[in-house]
Amino acid sequence: MPSRDDSSRLRRDAKRRGRLGSLGYHLGMIAVCAVVLYPAVWMFTSSLKPSSEIIGNISLLPENGSLDNFATALAGIGGVSFWTFFVNSVIIAVFSVVGVVVSSAVAAYAFARIQFRAKPLWFALMVATMLLPFHVTIIPQYILFQNLGLINNFGALLIPKFLATEAFFVFLMIQFLRGIPRDLDEAARIDGAGHIRVFGSIIMPLLRPAMITAAIFTFIASWNDFLGPLLYLKRPDLYTLPIALRLFVDQTTTSDYGAQVAMAVLALIPVIIFFFVFQRYLIDGVSTQGLKG
Amino acid sequence: MSAAGALVLAACSGGGDDAGGGEPGSGGTVDPDEEISLTVVWWGNDDRADRYEQAIELFEAEYPNIDIQSQFQAWPDYWTARATEAAGNALPDVFQMDLSYLSEFGTRGQLVDLAPYAGGELDTSGLSDALLASGQIDGAQYGIPQSTNTLALFYNPAIVDDLGIEPPTADQTWEEYVAWAAEAAAAGADEDPRLYGTGDFTGVLWLFVQYLVQNGHEVFTAEGDIAFTEQDVIEWLNVAQPLRDADALFPAERTVQLAPLGGFTVNEVASEFSWDNFLAGYLADSGADSLEMLPLPVPEGGERNMFFKPSMLLSAGANTEHPEAAAAFISFITNDAEVGSIFGTSRGVPATESARSQLEAEGADAQVLAYEEEWTPEITAATPVLPEGFGTIEAEWLRLAEELGYGHITPEEFASQWFAEAEIALG
Amino acid sequence: MTTTNAPADALVERPSLRRARLRESLAGYGFMAPWLAGFFALTVGPMIASLYLSFTDYDLFAPPEFIGADNYARLLSDPQFLQSIKVTVIYVVLGTPIKLAAALGVAMLLNAKRRGLGFYRSAFYAPSLVAASVSIAIVWKAMFIDDGVVDSSLRIFGVELGGWVGNPDMTMPMFILLAVWAFGGPMVIFLAGLKQVPGELYEAAEMDGAGRLRQFRNITLPMLSPVIFFNLLMETIGSFQVFGSAFIISGGTGGPAGSTLFYTLYLYQRGFRDFAMGYASAMAWLLVIAVGLITILLFRTSKAWVHYQGDAK
Repeated sequence: MPSRDDSSRLRRDAKRRGRLGSLGYHLGMIAVCAVVLYPAVWMFTSSLKPSSEIIGNISLLPENGSLDNFATALAGIGGVSFWTFFVNSVIIAVFSVVGVVVSSAVAAYAFARIQFRAKPLWFALMVATMLLPFHVTIIPQYILFQNLGLINNFGALLIPKFLATEAFFVFLMIQFLRGIPRDLDEAARIDGAGHIRVFGSIIMPLLRPAMITAAIFTFIASWNDFLGPLLYLKRPDLYTLPIALRLFVDQTTTSDYGAQVAMAVLALIPVIIFFFVFQRYLIDGVSTQGLKG
Repeated sequence: MSAAGALVLAACSGGGDDAGGGEPGSGGTVDPDEEISLTVVWWGNDDRADRYEQAIELFEAEYPNIDIQSQFQAWPDYWTARATEAAGNALPDVFQMDLSYLSEFGTRGQLVDLAPYAGGELDTSGLSDALLASGQIDGAQYGIPQSTNTLALFYNPAIVDDLGIEPPTADQTWEEYVAWAAEAAAAGADEDPRLYGTGDFTGVLWLFVQYLVQNGHEVFTAEGDIAFTEQDVIEWLNVAQPLRDADALFPAERTVQLAPLGGFTVNEVASEFSWDNFLAGYLADSGADSLEMLPLPVPEGGERNMFFKPSMLLSAGANTEHPEAAAAFISFITNDAEVGSIFGTSRGVPATESARSQLEAEGADAQVLAYEEEWTPEITAATPVLPEGFGTIEAEWLRLAEELGYGHITPEEFASQWFAEAEIALG
Repeated sequence: MTTTNAPADALVERPSLRRARLRESLAGYGFMAPWLAGFFALTVGPMIASLYLSFTDYDLFAPPEFIGADNYARLLSDPQFLQSIKVTVIYVVLGTPIKLAAALGVAMLLNAKRRGLGFYRSAFYAPSLVAASVSIAIVWKAMFIDDGVVDSSLRIFGVELGGWVGNPDMTMPMFILLAVWAFGGPMVIFLAGLKQVPGELYEAAEMDGAGRLRQFRNITLPMLSPVIFFNLLMETIGSFQVFGSAFIISGGTGGPAGSTLFYTLYLYQRGFRDFAMGYASAMAWLLVIAVGLITILLFRTSKAWVHYQGDAK
């Protein structure tokens, strides 16, 4: 039912369709919700069930609910505690966020506010890297970091973040800055402020919404990242949660689905919290990108 | 009797004296006042991690100045991680080694030649010459075998009972075994879940190797080339063809979904070939009251010709700063009686008499020991020499076996695709 | 919708000294320095390196050995490589349109003034944040296994498919469902696009007696075409890069029987399991070329069906 925001038409529609239409709409939407959220609900309730009840049982409600699975999951793997993996994930996610936000903002300022001759060329190259499949750089990057001794070192995962290699976020911030009138920073420039001061005291505060969007997306992407840690982290005490989860799946030789699902739930909790706290930013952030892209 | 036959049970001595590479005992000893830290890495699961932790505690009590940092990975990740470290000259001080990878690391100069430490920090006197030799390449001792195993046919008496058929026998031929499996599958067709006699055993490369040895074929040349032909591969795959044709093999669909368990460990398959030291794991995973072990079937008119294989070795990374401490650790794990009883037969039957001395007299460990003891006269062949790249061709064999199981390729295509890959992997 | 032009005033000559221009350039490069370093050290350099490596035999140990186009020739006769192309193409060609259709359909449902829209929007968006995670891959596998919740539910309706995980014909539908489940990402972008369509257009059409279907075809689709194009481009490129879920569900093998051997997974196996770095680099370059061609193709065809409004940006 394509509709629009025009209120007179809405009122007319509402009269015609009345409550019945509204009921039908909500029933339909709730049905879609049920399908979409089913895997998540299944996951949470399964984590409370004993393994034998998870497979071959379609009832969502656990018959003998318990937290045993979580106890198994929190015990970790082979002497490395769950919290070690958790802390590793947090460290990498936090530094990734800082790196991406700062380096992207700095680069975006140059692209949006400083005039110099070769800029259109650099801008085109930057946009092109957004479309480049990562496959083509991953092998030489790996060889490079390996020669620098950065295997089993978070550096291999974090250095690219501090070098604004995620062109998408640079682009996002450039678009955002273009929407901000130049009056403020031009006035400051006329008053003799240098670029560093203009960037620090005028642009950064204005850029905050775009920075928050970039921060949230970076956090979630880094938290879920699998390939990076798989390549560079080879020691269990350095594993992030996704890699630990994978080891956990391989190690529990008796196919302990309960504990696997419980650990999967634990690994997702930060993302879920993030989602509830920042959902407005997230969704609005995405939609503005779409519009301005 | 060949030397290999004496690997496990003959308590022979004096191995290592002629290991070459360096003068025995010339490797120096551990300085008790120096604070040393060693990294030790193995593949395995939680259970093995527990056992290593206990063994390491014992070692650290014996050598208070040595601190062991240990880690582990699952099998496929393990080799990826080691290859990465080898390329960066950052291998662990001590790590678990498999026969299939020994030459890959050894010939590239990635491993310490442990011969000079023999008689000093490293006591190899409890190992037989033949077994010790399996850790050598061109006279250099790159790995110390920890334990041995040999292939066996496991069967679950409870399932055989359910099916109402006779159990397989020790003197059956391959053909008879296949006929037995067909009978089992027919009897199990109406059960829920459906029961089978066997899975597609031709998908185990080691079993093919064993089959070649039984038939008196050379498997790999000393230069590391393949000594058999595509026709040999096809012949082997066709051993199970009657079962394939009759849909009497445990289906690949199930196998894929059960991983890391298998049809045998979820009690839907009556028999399976594997290394004898898998017994304890099988018992734990399947929950079966008992499992029986038989030697491999014999080829028509041939010899049984089974062989022992070192189930794992310990090696020291060439970049270690403390080769003498690494040697001391390896020696301790290889020989200590208490360590032996901690691991039991979970890593294979311990290689030294001293490590075997305190094994449980009953249960899985005892059954594995009894199996090897009973069939030693039939374990007459030498362990085949494995070429560099064996790990890769073994993985490729397994992959093609799955394709075969799904009916996507024929045995002929299996053979030609595997040879194409092997040519690249073996150079 | 991608405007690559710098603001026009970038090129306007200002009445300032050369020194000032030089100073601006220096400041510009100063601010761009981290990005430039990353661009050259982590993108351009590696691209050239992998182009070179693709003509060599390199295993990280011995120095790269130049072997001409052997890697490329071998790829063309490698059944696994051809399988990985097949798997990836089917996934992209089937998965992307279904996902976009779902996203557009739901976005249109959400483009109304009703209660509870915020809730629905958030609920539909949530899966797209976690769909690529290992956690969800584990859940997916457990749901689609023999006697799992999907198998058991279908059996109630008399459909006996068994577990999808073990059936090479059903693993692709399983992955496509996972992709479609994450329709929330393109959905919010569609929603933003729909909000921009002027209501008068629909009003006029309704006066002319146009039905819903005709309104959709004549107004919604053309007005939304830039957004559709953007989503199509991004989702297509994204689909080529699927890795984590395939890795977890198949245990890194791409099985059963190669049915989940996505391009990225095969490249990982060759590069980082077998350490055939040259071979994997050749694969990477073929992918770059393929993605480049697809992008060009999409841009070319877009001229025929994407309508940019004069004032739209």
